[in-house]
Amino acid sequence: MAGEARLPWSGLRNAAILLALWEIVGRLDLVAGGALPGITEILLRLWEDRADYPRHIWATLAASGAGFVIGNVIAIAAGVIFALSPTALRLFRGVNIAVFALPPIAIAPILVLTLSGMAPRIVLAALGVYFVTMTATVIGLSQADSRATDLIRAYGGSRRDALRLVLFRGALPSIMAGLRVAAPNAVLGAILAEFGGGGRWGLGAYLLGSLGRGEPDRLWGIGLVATLIAGLSYGAFALLSRRLVGATRAVTLNSAIPEAPAQTGSRAARVMLAAGAVGLPFLMWWAFIRLTGVPDLIAKTPLGVIDYLFFARTAEMAQARLLAALAETLPITLAGMLAGLGFAFALAIASKVFPRAIEAFMPVALITQTMPLVALTPLLVLILGRGPSLTLWVTISVTFFPAFVTLAQGIALVPRSAEELPRAYGAGRWREIGMVTIPASLPYLFAATRLTVPRALLGVMIAEWLATGKGLGNLLNQSRGYLDYGMIWTVASVSVILSVLFYQLVVIVERRVLRRMGMATAE
Amino acid sequence: MTAPDGIALSGVCKTFTGRGRVVEALRDVNLTCPQGSFTAIIGPSGCGKSTAMRIAMGLEAPDAGEVRIAGKAPLDAARDGLTGIAFQDAALLPWRSVRRNVEVPLEVLRRPLSAASEHVAHLIDLVGLKGFENALPGELSGGMRQRVAIARALATHPRVLFMDEPFGALDQILRRQMNLELQRIWNESGSTALLVTHGIDEAVFLADRVVVMHAGPGRIVDIVEIPFERPRQPRLFSDPAFHETCDRIAGVLHGG
Repeated sequence: MAGEARLPWSGLRNAAILLALWEIVGRLDLVAGGALPGITEILLRLWEDRADYPRHIWATLAASGAGFVIGNVIAIAAGVIFALSPTALRLFRGVNIAVFALPPIAIAPILVLTLSGMAPRIVLAALGVYFVTMTATVIGLSQADSRATDLIRAYGGSRRDALRLVLFRGALPSIMAGLRVAAPNAVLGAILAEFGGGGRWGLGAYLLGSLGRGEPDRLWGIGLVATLIAGLSYGAFALLSRRLVGATRAVTLNSAIPEAPAQTGSRAARVMLAAGAVGLPFLMWWAFIRLTGVPDLIAKTPLGVIDYLFFARTAEMAQARLLAALAETLPITLAGMLAGLGFAFALAIASKVFPRAIEAFMPVALITQTMPLVALTPLLVLILGRGPSLTLWVTISVTFFPAFVTLAQGIALVPRSAEELPRAYGAGRWREIGMVTIPASLPYLFAATRLTVPRALLGVMIAEWLATGKGLGNLLNQSRGYLDYGMIWTVASVSVILSVLFYQLVVIVERRVLRRMGMATAE
Repeated sequence: MTAPDGIALSGVCKTFTGRGRVVEALRDVNLTCPQGSFTAIIGPSGCGKSTAMRIAMGLEAPDAGEVRIAGKAPLDAARDGLTGIAFQDAALLPWRSVRRNVEVPLEVLRRPLSAASEHVAHLIDLVGLKGFENALPGELSGGMRQRVAIARALATHPRVLFMDEPFGALDQILRRQMNLELQRIWNESGSTALLVTHGIDEAVFLADRVVVMHAGPGRIVDIVEIPFERPRQPRLFSDPAFHETCDRIAGVLHGG
């Protein structure tokens, strides 16, 4: 078909136009007095620095690769356990949300204080992939075709048989989508740890070393390389998932009502479980510090943080600084998150109406959105300055990508028959979208919202840490400089707890809305 | 009263609680299907006929009463490979080829696939899908998918065959054709068959006895013996006696 043959051409043409524009703008120093160098200037600088790159790249790759593997093995195993045992899922809910909600930038200084060598980088990379893959595994397993599972059970098959024959394979598209998002996350995690943790090698360390020199061309070069690595890792899994799950889309609508997780046990047992879920993260925090054997002065247990914030001599001052920082951080986090989500939702819906345009836009979105934020922020600082607009843009860019991927995935799962029904009655594109696509994607909109809550906070904190000198991010960075260990642990735990609370709020709204609509939560 | 190779439900009750409402799906259902017989259950939507079958298959547990399949508890019979199952929706695994879908019950029962390969090929031939062994479900029409499900139901040489509206999604012509095929296949296998259907003519054509159910609460109101001799020929569909029987069942269905 002529139209399809033309597509790669128009893509190439668009890219060529974009690159030419970039070159002209860069050469003429049109953006913020040379903050955006021409593409040839960047490449030339890359060539000059070519001897530096291999060791930096290797260090980042090794840490993110190790973290990716470890994080995903744990995540998939945990996902399987959680899908099989609702009790385990309830008990670990607090841990899962906490791991998910950790803004890596806040955790990096803590990990460097408590671990040594490559360990902080690997841990942060693993933390970056765990939640995405674990959630994808649970979603995939719990959304499996219940009739096919019935068939296995009716032949006397065990849960393991169902897992082996139906569930795991059925969950593969979802898991692959998870890995696709997780791969750039691992790179980002490793760079963040390098960034906050010293050490000589790694792209994060290289970036940090070049930050103060005011050499836009080198910063852009490092940013490009980091982006390339993250983008390639995403692309590799996108390719793999296309080959694996290409022709196996479900062909009929599964009309079976999803089984509600049974509320087993007495009221007392449920309360115990809920308390366990809240307590477990704190228990693990405490155990982590005891196991690493770091002295109390540096590593604060939950009790240590409470003591610092409420009972120590400096408690009042610490509280005042914390509250002032929060008042700066929270409003802009909310604004950035809403903007990023709205953009992602609009674009995901639009991909139904203008598949061509979105396909042409996708490469651009991919490059800008898989770009590791830490590498991106200094470049944005050069362009946007150090005001609130920087914080806002960083936050939008960091929330948009995961939200878009989640929504696009959800919309792709809408059964063909359901989409064709309104069309068969003569409905136009928009009406079909209004009747089927949007309602069917609602669970994914909520899932995307949950996904973006902590990312928004991360984006704001990174911008604050690196550029604006305001809010929680700045407080964390300052405390590092003053060796104020109590404040480091306080900011980290407060930002995590805030994330968790906000996340819980979204979950409550989600449950209400979806229950009223008779839909299942994309857990 | 229990048939050693048949199906026996005695005093089966089942209620569901959903959205605060209690639905009495089955009240005191008694049904005995002797070995080698063909029984059809017919009734309006929501009369509990599918629930009765799911209980017989061991997918739901009854609140009261007892179920015996070939003299065993439902899931024990299933684990021994005595049952074959076809759902209303083909419920094929979209990533498996036709042959690999037919093999699913064998894999669940951990039977060697190599020993059954000839049987599987024969079944695919039997349902008229020769040449489509390696096609994926997404590449097949609705009728072809349903025939894969029938072949899959027969893969284990079942003694008891459960069919929940297996031809519900097919057109009338294909349905007649599949009814003839099913009679032949069932006859050859000598199994006990239980069919849930919406089609009165389908039930009368295939079954030795038609069980009529009513809703609210789900219960058996009549069991009609079908006397026509076997093998039944397509011309039976236009026989006045056939229509008389159909009308009688329709009367029971609508009147009570």
